[in-house]
Amino acid sequence: MRTVTFVAGAVAALAASPALAHITLEGKQAAVGSYYKAVFAVPHGCAGSPTVKIRVQIPEGVIGVKPMPKAGWTLDTVTGAYAAQYDYHGAKLSEGVKEVTWSGGKLSDKNYDEFVMQTFLTDTLKPNTVLYFPVVQECEQGVSRWIDIPAEGQGGGHGHGSKTPAPGVKLLPKT
Amino acid sequence: MRLVASLAALLITVCLATTAHAHAVLIGAEPADGSVLAEAPKMVVLRFNEPVAPSAVSLLDAAGRPRDVAARAVDESVMVTVPAGLPRGTQVVSYRVVSQDGHPVAGSLLFSIGEVTGSATPSGDRVVDALIWLARLGLYVGLFAGVGGVFFAAWIGQGPAGGRLITWALKIGLAGAVASLGLQGVDLLNLPLAGILTWAAWASAAGTSLFPALLLAIAAMLIAALAWRSPSFGAAFVRTAIAMICVGLSFAVSGHAASASPQWLTRPALFIHGIGLAFWIGALAPLAALAWQRKDSLLRVLRRFSTLAVPAVALIALSGFVLGIVQVDSVRALIDTRYGNILVWKLVLVSLLLVFAALNRLVFTPMIEREFHRTRPLQRSIAVEFVLMIAILGLVASWRFTPPPRALAMSTDVPLAVHIHTDAAMFQVLIAPGRIGPNDFTLQLMNGDASPFAAKEATLTLSLPERGIQPIERSATLGPDGYWHLSKVPLPFPGRWHMQIDALVSDFKKVTLEDEFEVR
Repeated sequence: MRTVTFVAGAVAALAASPALAHITLEGKQAAVGSYYKAVFAVPHGCAGSPTVKIRVQIPEGVIGVKPMPKAGWTLDTVTGAYAAQYDYHGAKLSEGVKEVTWSGGKLSDKNYDEFVMQTFLTDTLKPNTVLYFPVVQECEQGVSRWIDIPAEGQGGGHGHGSKTPAPGVKLLPKT
Repeated sequence: MRLVASLAALLITVCLATTAHAHAVLIGAEPADGSVLAEAPKMVVLRFNEPVAPSAVSLLDAAGRPRDVAARAVDESVMVTVPAGLPRGTQVVSYRVVSQDGHPVAGSLLFSIGEVTGSATPSGDRVVDALIWLARLGLYVGLFAGVGGVFFAAWIGQGPAGGRLITWALKIGLAGAVASLGLQGVDLLNLPLAGILTWAAWASAAGTSLFPALLLAIAAMLIAALAWRSPSFGAAFVRTAIAMICVGLSFAVSGHAASASPQWLTRPALFIHGIGLAFWIGALAPLAALAWQRKDSLLRVLRRFSTLAVPAVALIALSGFVLGIVQVDSVRALIDTRYGNILVWKLVLVSLLLVFAALNRLVFTPMIEREFHRTRPLQRSIAVEFVLMIAILGLVASWRFTPPPRALAMSTDVPLAVHIHTDAAMFQVLIAPGRIGPNDFTLQLMNGDASPFAAKEATLTLSLPERGIQPIERSATLGPDGYWHLSKVPLPFPGRWHMQIDALVSDFKKVTLEDEFEVR
């Protein structure tokens, strides 16, 4: 009957320097109410097996998602209703991209690649928190789920690191 | 006379007969009894060896303040919701539950938050316990000396010898039966003694299996009282026979021996044991009275009783032997358990009793046959027998407060259970056998509100940090029972193992719960 979790840890990727073992976001910080270019760095496959699919879940409060096409990969998006209505350049948005998938390619375990999308971080997001983008990495053999998000108040950090933290970006106050 | 000797040998084994005692046993708790936790648990889970219904659960916090808690039963477990804001120190959870056989089982669980403090122990009500014991003893006196006495007067003595003693025994028995019911309610609800005056006490006692048993006992004693005034021998025969059958049934319907399996064996054994005892004990008062008054009929009655006593004692011995084997399980339990200790004392007293019974049969009765006026030794011997009987019944009545080894034995072979509870989910993990070596894990995943938790995958990760054993990761498979299973997971070393369970809710979401468990 212990505490815990929704496992902690992803912050290891942020706090610590290049946590190359994990899928991470290149830009570590971003202000709310502004555009954010999310670059997902994929440093390896699943236990040696090449990556064939990357799925990214778009967290609530992130709109205007425009994924960058990638040669050799098929780009798909899943759209759906947002939990709230967001103001985007004067328009009211109540639905949009919820999930982005790059598939059909093959990224060897020995190689590195990046998967990019442009996003808009609405000012409904809370500054000074970490925004997580859960990622599922599918390989020829096996799956790695980079989906662990620290529990509220757990703070994450070292010591309680998850093996598979979700990539995150630290939110800054609106500029 | 040979017979008496062999009978004595048989009777030594008898004593194993039992009547009634508490019987659900606490086999585990989460947090464990005596554990020290870093922070207050959200819930205390008490696991029993059979389904129970909680009747009163209370929590005394480290500051000595009683706190309100909610308890509810889920199968064999009782879930106690712990109030927020417990002070640091040792907390005491007192519980009282009703087991399937109707017996209340009470106990306490201590756990500490942060540190162990000298805590107040819950006040078990000694007075109530003593009164329960006394009422039970009174009930036995009424059933055995009272009903048995009336039966003897009708069938063997064919006269009203010992009538005053018998009627007193019946009165005591009736009072004991009624008091037993009220006190059972007081005990069930953990009320102070004055609670016997409340309706709730009686109503809750009426819901237990003790209620029909007491009704049968009361019926037996009322019919016996009526039989005392029978207009004819024929009527007395019928009435006393019915009363005796009620005595047997009263023992067969309640008590944990009655709920022990196989019931086709234990219930008839209890029935026979009860009737046999009533026959034997019932004879003592009339025989003593006859001897005291030096009635002419004494010798005739003595001979008739002796003839019947041999098969009666044999039946008591046989039924007692059967019940003893069912209840005690092993020879070690005689020494290791309180139940066994009481049984050993009962054996000793019964052996003594048999010595006096043999003396009556082999020495004093022939003495009277030779010189009729020498009845004093027989009287004294019967008086001693009577005292021994009461002492034995007193011991038997104290069994109510101890669980039998049969129930205790079940508790050693139960899997280790770990209950992990967070806002997100509640996982119940059973680890069998819970010892070093290969273990089978069963993961019962539930939401925080105990509704089923739908998972796509479940993974178990084990580690033993103190020995430097790094995480061992295994995938669980969903069984047809709706639980996730892992078989033959090695736990190579004793120690405090760390366990993490990841349950995948959707592709992007999983719930992870962690806990520790002790392997020996």
